[in-house]
Amino acid sequence: MSESALRIRGLRKAFPKVVAVAGVDLEVARGEVFGLLGPNGAGKTTTLEMIEGLTLPDAGEIEVLGRTWAREGKEIRARIGVQLQSTSLFNRITVREALDLYGTYYPKARTTADLLDLVQLNDKADAYHVTLSGGQQQRLALALALVNDPELVFLDEPTTGLDPQARRSLWDVVRRMKAEGRTVLLTTHYMEEAEALCDRLAIMDHGQVIAAGTPASLIAQLAIPSVVELTFDGDAPDPAAFAARLGGPVEQRADLWEIPTRDPKALLPRLLETAESEGVPYQQVHVRRATLEDVFLHQTGRSLRD
Amino acid sequence: MLMMIWRQFVMEWKLYLRDKGAMFWTFAFPVVMLLGFGIIFRGGGGPKLTVVYVQPAAQSTRDAALLKAMEEVQLKVLPLAPAEAEARWAHGETAAEVLPEGEGYRIRLNSYLMAQGGPTAGLVNQAWLLAQARLNGSPEPRRIPVSVESPGGKKASNYAAFLLPGLLGLNLLSIGLFSVGMVNVSYREKGKFRRLAVTPLPKWIFLLGQVLQRLTISLAQAVVLLIVGWLAFGIRNQGSYLDLVVVMTLGTACFMSFGFALSGFAETSETYAAIANLFFFPLMLLSGVYFTLDSAPHWLQRSVAFLPLSPFLSTLRAVFNDGAGLAGHGMGLLVVGAWALGAFLIAVRRFRWN
Ligand SMILES: Nc1ncnc2c1ncn2[C@@H]1O[C@H](COP(=O)(O)OP(=O)(O)OP(=O)(O)O)[C@@H](O)[C@H]1O
Ligand SMILES: [Mg+2]
Repeated sequence: MSESALRIRGLRKAFPKVVAVAGVDLEVARGEVFGLLGPNGAGKTTTLEMIEGLTLPDAGEIEVLGRTWAREGKEIRARIGVQLQSTSLFNRITVREALDLYGTYYPKARTTADLLDLVQLNDKADAYHVTLSGGQQQRLALALALVNDPELVFLDEPTTGLDPQARRSLWDVVRRMKAEGRTVLLTTHYMEEAEALCDRLAIMDHGQVIAAGTPASLIAQLAIPSVVELTFDGDAPDPAAFAARLGGPVEQRADLWEIPTRDPKALLPRLLETAESEGVPYQQVHVRRATLEDVFLHQTGRSLRD
Repeated sequence: MLMMIWRQFVMEWKLYLRDKGAMFWTFAFPVVMLLGFGIIFRGGGGPKLTVVYVQPAAQSTRDAALLKAMEEVQLKVLPLAPAEAEARWAHGETAAEVLPEGEGYRIRLNSYLMAQGGPTAGLVNQAWLLAQARLNGSPEPRRIPVSVESPGGKKASNYAAFLLPGLLGLNLLSIGLFSVGMVNVSYREKGKFRRLAVTPLPKWIFLLGQVLQRLTISLAQAVVLLIVGWLAFGIRNQGSYLDLVVVMTLGTACFMSFGFALSGFAETSETYAAIANLFFFPLMLLSGVYFTLDSAPHWLQRSVAFLPLSPFLSTLRAVFNDGAGLAGHGMGLLVVGAWALGAFLIAVRRFRWN
């Protein structure tokens, strides 16, 4: 039995007008929770769907649980669980029927009652799929991904569209899966989620992995542990003149400036003084630790939710 | 595995029963068709042929004799003044008219409506021979006696009885091509199968579940049509019900699989609609749904016997209208069965989840 749950080499996929995945290598160990981050159109879904056997790659090798699609497709399908980015079921199937039916496709299946509890859809068990809200459909999709008690679970944006409470309960589900020794590969647009859940991450952009590692190592690689923020009432003004006087980079965001620094203690007095003499109409000053979001901005030059 | 097929089958039925609109139309449409056609052709061999008789200025004994003879040969005579007759002709409504000309008459036929005009001209000439003999006092020409029988000799049935099996067949073809094939393409387009694609469910079980469910719907539909045909027009199955079920089951399996197979060749619903029509109209026109092909070229008749609809209909008619057994129709059943199996295999091969 191989040590990795997943091993990918040189994965490529081109659509008629765009190269969606341009040579991706990934290795996910058994029992790991692995996160795939990246802006819209980075190629996350395409990568996942090639791994899941839904999309045929143009090139590259995929080994899932030590098996390849060409020879052991049926066995792979029996042992993985998949939540697609959007799951479209027949309109008039009820939640309970869908869970029962999908259970019959697998050699072993968790009970429907169990799954309903897990995703808290008990009171919607007999509602038709079309009548569910977006978040409820998302939770049903999660339950379907777990119906066969899978060893390896793929979750494509599992918390998009969930309310804060449902999001927390999904986190619990993922943590429990990890505790049970399962492997999880998930995508997300939420940095705090990636930090909270993932053992390791890969940041994708333009079809390639541009950075990978543990959340802590990625932040450490930035070598800019802190960020000072000046917030404004309304849009932030152009920081060019201010940056010149300060003698360092100032990033302009919607309603704030961000000034990355290694040493906030030394920077702050000088910064406030400069702001005062320039007449910068700022409201408040915050100092915070650099986060994955800063890593992401630094790596892709874009905000995640652009 | 049988259990999986059964679960799939039951689920398809549940989903179908919940879609009340679709259910209503699958049953209402063929019934409406049958009632419509049945009422139009209720009289038996279709309505009488109509001939416009352009009235001369003054009616002679010769004119009177012709009119009487035309009634006798079962023509529907419509006497009109010259101006009215001309207006009707100009509108294109007249298939055949008799006009006085010189010492005699002339028959004018509408080149667009020769199917009615041709036989009408023949009947008018027959009436004229009769009228002449009477006017000359010579013995009336004797006609060859005509008897009307159904080919199997079971019972002299009418056109509606011929049509009912045709409609059953047409209905199967249209369910197969449009409600099975089309629905599958549009489900695939909407991504309804993608979630199934990542489960170990084999395609053929999924497809077989659907085929079996459509099969039972079609059989139920056939039962409804047969009951309506019986109650409204007194058309009854002359053969054994077991044979009827065998033929219907085989035919349904064939056309359902045919629709599935075609759906594997189109990416979008629009492409599919074009492809399906490409098959639907030739099959409908060439396979003897409404009329037989006995005046078509020989090679065409031979080829049509190898398409699925024609052998299905002739076997169905032999059983249903003439009470024949299946023994004499082995070849036809074989052709339909081969199409069913071939189409199902192609369907499984070509089927894609997304
Ligand atoms: N079926 C398809 N046909 C053509 N282009 C496609 C197809 N699927 C994806 N693409 C393109 O491939 C690129 C990558 O898409 P993908 O869905 O993998 O991105 P993503 O990282 O999942 O984005 P998001 O965060 O918005 O879900 C995009 O430019 C997209 O337009
Ligand atoms: Mg995506």
